[in-house]
Amino acid sequence: METQEINYKNIFYPPGGILIWIIIFLELFTFGAALVAMVYYGKQAVEIFHASRLQLNATFGMVNTLFLLTSGYFMAISVEALKLKNTDKFKKLLLVTMFFGLCFLGLKSFEYATKLHEGFAIGYNTFFTFYWMLTLFHVIHVLVGLVILTSVYFGISKKNSTTTLEDVEASAAFWHMCDLIWILLFPIIYLLF
Amino acid sequence: MHKTSTIAYIILIALTITSALLSKLGTPYVALLILLLAVFKFIAIAFQFMELKKANPFWKVMVVGFVLLFTVIVWAIK
Repeated sequence: METQEINYKNIFYPPGGILIWIIIFLELFTFGAALVAMVYYGKQAVEIFHASRLQLNATFGMVNTLFLLTSGYFMAISVEALKLKNTDKFKKLLLVTMFFGLCFLGLKSFEYATKLHEGFAIGYNTFFTFYWMLTLFHVIHVLVGLVILTSVYFGISKKNSTTTLEDVEASAAFWHMCDLIWILLFPIIYLLF
Repeated sequence: MHKTSTIAYIILIALTITSALLSKLGTPYVALLILLLAVFKFIAIAFQFMELKKANPFWKVMVVGFVLLFTVIVWAIK
């Protein structure tokens, strides 16, 4: 694996690379605008949003936050291990990262199944339209993140790997972006109304 | 570095549990408190896990500016 010193203080070289940060900001603004719209509509129908919010299981939301934070923590320390050229440790920690990502998806799937069983589908009311659209869009990002991390895992396992540290950092930045988005989604969807 | 990430992780877990517990209280400013905890968590992840603390100030200002602007807009509407 190639490693080289990157001057992160250079405006064009944030950790992970400038392209991933452009993507991160695009995603943050998209989710941010949608959440602002949700809060706006919530103000128009306070009772419906409050009653609907109470139908969600905040404990599931909290446990899912813990899963993503734990996953993000292992991602961060795995990158640290790679910087110390400890590839074996990096790979083990990356697997733990992916495991907690899968835990998130597992619990989310269970939550979705419960909501569908109770009849709270996407068209039930405005609150649930936002709930399904925002959380499903986030789930898609987590799925894409898992595919990227799997690709990094196999890429770095190759004998003559061409995967660079910047590739790994960019993948890690994408994975952490899923945390950032969820950190905004969780309090607004599960706790605020 | 590893130790700092671990400390950040423990704080993030504690703040998440605190947010969930706060939501059960019916006091008027609980929503603002939950939002502020989310801002703190957001910045902690960006600066510690995403290593933004090592980046050019431009990126730090952008991230902090985004999350503060978002919070102000949400609170103003709410």
